[in-house]
Amino acid sequence: MALFAEIRRRNVLKVALLYLVAGWLVLRIADVGVTSHGWPEWVEKFLLLVVAVGFPVALSFAWFYEITPSGLKKAVDVDQTQSIVYKTGQKLNAAVAVLLVLGLAAVIADLFLPDFEFLIPEPEQGDPPLSAKSPDEIRTHTLPNGLRIIVWPDHDIPNVVMYNFVRAGSRNEYPGITGLSHFFEHMMFNGTAKRAQGEFDREMTSAGGENNAYTSNDVTVYMDWFPRTALKVVFDLEADRFANLRIEPEVVETERGAVQSERRLRVDNNNFMRLREQVRATAFVAHPYQFPVIGWPSDIDAWTQDDLVTFYRTYYAPNNCTLVVTGDVKPVEIFKLAEEFFGQIPAQKPPAAVRTVEPEQKGPRRVLIETDAQTPLLHMAFHGGSATDPETLPITVLLNILVGGDSSRLHRILVEDEQLAIAVGGFQDEGFDPGLLYFYAVLPPDGDPDQVETRMLEELARVATENVSAAEFEKARNIILADFWRGLATIRGKASALGNFETFNGSYEKLFELPDDVRALSLDQLRDAASKVFRRANMTVGVLRAPAPVDKADD
Amino acid sequence: MMRVAFRLAPAAALLLTAVSAMATEVTLPPYQRLELDNGTVLLLSEKHDVPLIGVYAVLRGGAISDPEGLSGVASLFAALLEKGAGERDAAAFAEAVESVGGRLAASGGLETITISGDFLADHAELMVELLADMLRRPALDAVEMEKLRDRRMNFIRAAKDSNLNALVPIYGDAMLFGEHPYGNPVSGSETTLANIDIEHIKEYYENHIGADRLVIAVSGDFDAASISEMLARAFADWRPAATEVREVIAPEPLRGRTVLLVDKPGATQTYFRLANVGVALGYPRRAELNIANTAFGGNFSSMLNTELRMKSGLTYGVSSGFARHKKRGSFAISSFTRTDATVEAIDKALAVLAELHSTALDATTIDTARNYILGQLPTILETAPQLARLIARLEVFGLDASYINDYGPAITAASVESVAEVIAEVYPTPDNLVIVLLGDAELIRDSIAKYGPVTEISITEPYFRLPPAEGEEPADPAK
Repeated sequence: MALFAEIRRRNVLKVALLYLVAGWLVLRIADVGVTSHGWPEWVEKFLLLVVAVGFPVALSFAWFYEITPSGLKKAVDVDQTQSIVYKTGQKLNAAVAVLLVLGLAAVIADLFLPDFEFLIPEPEQGDPPLSAKSPDEIRTHTLPNGLRIIVWPDHDIPNVVMYNFVRAGSRNEYPGITGLSHFFEHMMFNGTAKRAQGEFDREMTSAGGENNAYTSNDVTVYMDWFPRTALKVVFDLEADRFANLRIEPEVVETERGAVQSERRLRVDNNNFMRLREQVRATAFVAHPYQFPVIGWPSDIDAWTQDDLVTFYRTYYAPNNCTLVVTGDVKPVEIFKLAEEFFGQIPAQKPPAAVRTVEPEQKGPRRVLIETDAQTPLLHMAFHGGSATDPETLPITVLLNILVGGDSSRLHRILVEDEQLAIAVGGFQDEGFDPGLLYFYAVLPPDGDPDQVETRMLEELARVATENVSAAEFEKARNIILADFWRGLATIRGKASALGNFETFNGSYEKLFELPDDVRALSLDQLRDAASKVFRRANMTVGVLRAPAPVDKADD
Repeated sequence: MMRVAFRLAPAAALLLTAVSAMATEVTLPPYQRLELDNGTVLLLSEKHDVPLIGVYAVLRGGAISDPEGLSGVASLFAALLEKGAGERDAAAFAEAVESVGGRLAASGGLETITISGDFLADHAELMVELLADMLRRPALDAVEMEKLRDRRMNFIRAAKDSNLNALVPIYGDAMLFGEHPYGNPVSGSETTLANIDIEHIKEYYENHIGADRLVIAVSGDFDAASISEMLARAFADWRPAATEVREVIAPEPLRGRTVLLVDKPGATQTYFRLANVGVALGYPRRAELNIANTAFGGNFSSMLNTELRMKSGLTYGVSSGFARHKKRGSFAISSFTRTDATVEAIDKALAVLAELHSTALDATTIDTARNYILGQLPTILETAPQLARLIARLEVFGLDASYINDYGPAITAASVESVAEVIAEVYPTPDNLVIVLLGDAELIRDSIAKYGPVTEISITEPYFRLPPAEGEEPADPAK
């Protein structure tokens, strides 16, 4: 007990308390500096180390030394009657109080003062409104080299999603290099000046991350899903392959094999995709949307080193991309990391615009594939709009009414009531240029493609001449609204939605206008869009079936 | 303008985050569990991030209870639940779900029947009504059944035209598990479906569907008290199933090698699967197993992908995986390659499997797999439907929260030695495999004979496994 009394007398406890409060403040400041103001991470670790190491030092100091009117002396040398430890103790108490008040004031300010740029509010509690508005916590920033960055913080799980939307797709290709955008997507995993083949994935995986990529007619999108702790690693990896890709001739040869295998899987040994490829190639005669994204086999075998190098330089430029980050991040730290890793990559001359406009189709086109098939296929495509054309949203609604689920018109008629098909479906391209509105039916083995075509056309004519019912319209609106929310339930969904709207609709904010835009449509607008698109002269029909038995009547 | 912000976080928490940078812990969020007198279990968990409500209802049983020679009954029964229930016929039922933007789908699995869906939060009551109608008052209409059955037979034919990769595991399990219930194709074959009539479906409903087998998990934007009251009212007086859940014995790994060659003339690629019996759902060392499999064939930088894709360009994709059923399941390596490279690719896969056994995974490889699993772990519980599915399945398979809560720590604790032990215990060696190849038989028949005795069937045959020879009684593994 005597020892404890002496510890108290020498103010060791008060020093400890003061030290802890001060240390907490210092570390909080460092944390904020690192996460919100881009201080290097080592600052925080260094200060933590200093504070931790300093603690026993400070305590020992308090124990061994005393402040006296004549300066600092060893405690054992101080005449107890002259000791002013009591006064020192009062000063220490005052210091603790001041620091606590400071800390508390900062906390209160944080909680109650209006938000400044660096402070991201927590998402509001309670039900999100059914009519969405662009959440305030989304932030954007554009680097001097043109790289646009969109950040949507969401701290639900300690993970992050980063999508890089590169504006390069099969629409940027021409005969001889069809499939190059997609092939390039593969090459982006195959080594850089700094990293050997395979390193990208190994480093990403070691940091807890997962990645993939896809290519479409319009864009190539690189996707990373990773824990917050891997932020820096992922930025390093992405910027490295973006700036320093190595296009090794032997690796190109190996990768051709992988892509040919992918083509066999997805197209050559898949009747459905074989027909789709042919219908697309028939529907477009001029615009590069005629090319299959994976490329024609002879091009996969033949593109050259020069083609690859030119493509990389042209399209993998910061001013040709949008970087979307969602999840457990703060916008400012992302902007800082983007600046650090992507900031030095020079902008390039913007890629040449796709000039070709598909001439208007003036009559139905047909394509037939005769092959081994137990179940015949019927596909039907119409030229539609681009993502921003006025007919696109009404057609989205009509697609729901025609093929969206078991209660949709074409499913009811073709699959349930008349049993002419075993499955029907449809989708719409929503790209930079006017694309296709696509329907398909899978037929039973004895099915008649002509009959399905006739019934399908009758139903399409019906939505082009008569308004759909108010109940059907309401149903389609509800499906679109529910899908909107389903899409925003994950940080992946958020990244994908933001990136797509930013890329194709001109602004990510348009995403949040979707529910209202759909609600604002009229029945007449739906019918007008249908009559504009669903015309025989605007149609390409594809049939795939087994060859007809050879006619032996002449033998 | 510079402004320093502070948050309410004790220094201790900061110290902790700084030291354990990578320790991502995932624990099951709290949820309510209610058991009705008739055995139905209700699980409820609120989550208010988006205005949706998700439901996941599971019944114990499934395709393992399909009657002999009638594979596909459970799966067809499940699909028929969407075709009319309560006062609504098939069309009205679909309309009721879709008119409010909802989703509600039933499907039959090997050991469970599942109904899952989600609705906008305003429609919770409708969701409960439809769910109760499906389970308690299904129409089980003969005409709808026949339409669905015929369509399903045609789906198999359509897959033979357009989805070869999806068929390989069905042939594979039929061959691997043989007459064991795990070998029955869950969706049936063209032959077995043709033999199913409405009486089989009704019998299945009486025998295998009932309150004692039911678990309903609801998660999302709702008030737990009111939903649980609705569910209790809807199910409290439901009857139990007429029979007990069928108990199957654990299948044993096969010794030696057998080969099934499925002939698809004109295929430009051979699809293959190398398999044997794996582990059960409750396998205690799943952390080690998942680390091993991540390194072996679980992602892009895996041993298999490095050899068959990155180094050689033989394939677009190769993977290995465990399907874990209640009493063991399958382990399989799956891939595809151009026809003339079939043997080269399979030889390589066998060599990588041999290497897995001969050379222990080193510490770096294990750390990489460990970090990968831990880093991705939080994403399994991001959404309300994910949570509903997870807690329902834990309940149905008799697992508890430790299945999730202890997984992260077990991944962290796995060592070079413990992973090596699990590899030796679980992974088949290259000479004990059931090999299925789907491709152009004429071009590969001779060269693949070296892998073992070959059975060959045409892809147009209406079954996934050769019927037992005349006079040969199939063994009942339940006895």
